[in-house]
Amino acid sequence: MSRESRMRATINQKLTEMGERERLKEILRARLTECGWKDQMKAHCKEVIKEKGLEHVTVDDLVVEITPKGRALVPDSVKKDLLHRIRGFLAQHAT
Amino acid sequence: MTGYQSYYLAVKTSNRDFQMKMEDMPLSGPDNTRLEALAHDIYSELVEDACLGLCFEVHRAVKQGYFFLDETDQESMKEFEIVDQPGVDIFGQVYNQWKNKECECPNCKRLIAASRFAPHLEKCLGMGRNSSRIANRRLASSNNMSKSESDQEDNDDLNDNDWSYGAEKKTKKRKSDKSQNSPRRSKSLKHKNGELGSGVGAESYKYNYNTGISYETLGPDEVRSLLTTQCGVISEHTKKMCTRSQRCPQHTDEQRRAVRLFLLGPSAPTLPDADAVETDSFDIPDAQPLMSRLQWEDSDISPTDSASSKASTNHSDSRKPKKKKKPSLPLNSGGGGSGSGSLAGGGGGSSSQSNISISTKKKRPKLSAPPISSIYDDLA
Repeated sequence: MSRESRMRATINQKLTEMGERERLKEILRARLTECGWKDQMKAHCKEVIKEKGLEHVTVDDLVVEITPKGRALVPDSVKKDLLHRIRGFLAQHAT
Repeated sequence: MTGYQSYYLAVKTSNRDFQMKMEDMPLSGPDNTRLEALAHDIYSELVEDACLGLCFEVHRAVKQGYFFLDETDQESMKEFEIVDQPGVDIFGQVYNQWKNKECECPNCKRLIAASRFAPHLEKCLGMGRNSSRIANRRLASSNNMSKSESDQEDNDDLNDNDWSYGAEKKTKKRKSDKSQNSPRRSKSLKHKNGELGSGVGAESYKYNYNTGISYETLGPDEVRSLLTTQCGVISEHTKKMCTRSQRCPQHTDEQRRAVRLFLLGPSAPTLPDADAVETDSFDIPDAQPLMSRLQWEDSDISPTDSASSKASTNHSDSRKPKKKKKPSLPLNSGGGGSGSGSLAGGGGGSSSQSNISISTKKKRPKLSAPPISSIYDDLA
């Protein structure tokens, strides 16, 4: 396990150092915006805010409400694309 | 994003703790599964990043007060709904409403179709690209009908080197003139080259096939006025008078003089041109005659035609190199001098009649008859 976690740590480190993480983040964000995921989530946010009241909504409120739904609503194509890229990176850089 | 990154990290670690617990399963599978799991983990991380980013964005917008800016009340929303009816665009406007309408032109008070209104205004107000050219051309052709006056200036600077028949040349020049002026005109004049007779009566608006004027149809006054402004030499082939300028290179001054003698009788020789050969040896005895001749030429030639006069005088300049004596020439020196010599020698003319006829047309403020007539006697 520690080997495992060490490997993970190494991979994560590499991911960050090489800028691959940032790149992947940007790609993901762009994909989500263009597929409408972001607008969907914003609409959901509006409901939450209307529910909780504009003045008193906190970040935590939003996070708790939004994150599970967000994870679920990611379209399959986007997911597949991202996994593909990650796997490619791993194939290249994992020992 | 960097602004709230620390908060983000704090939130993230709490999430990750949750994740780590899930990961505490025994991973005895081959590397592939582990890698696959790793890939999924990385993916989840990225998705959560995105979600959190969105949350922070929304939260900030809420707290700053611009989150709900894009929403309006239902009533206003209804106003701007997309319209989907036939005959109407999506804003609800009728888009071919003005196709069949007519507008009254403020200038000429005519009713013009809407789609033709703008081009019509251009022409009507004289502000478009082609409007001045068309207007000039119309003036030229209408003048041709009555006086054939505007022709001579145009003729001077073109076709100086072509020594073909006058008729052909004139139609050729006019055809190229017209097609240069207005891109829409594409008629070819070639088949009209041989048209005779109705030179003056040609349609004034379109191409003027006027190859010359038949002297038989003109009265003596008209003949005289014509001869003072134009070459007037009668072509053997067509029996028409040449309508080019006094200095037209196709005909010599001798011919012009002969024509005048023939048409007007020996009593009124109004030959404006002095013979080229004779004036070669002409030395200006005093300033006054030449000055007055120059002034005659100066007023004679309108500004737009100064180019043409220069061109033709340059042409004759080559034949008369000795005439560049006048220091205070208002025009280009050599050309002006010699040109004026040839022009004004006759313009001065011995007959007062010709003086009057010329002065009615062109302004000649200072021309005095006696000194010039002496010059003319010199030439004769």
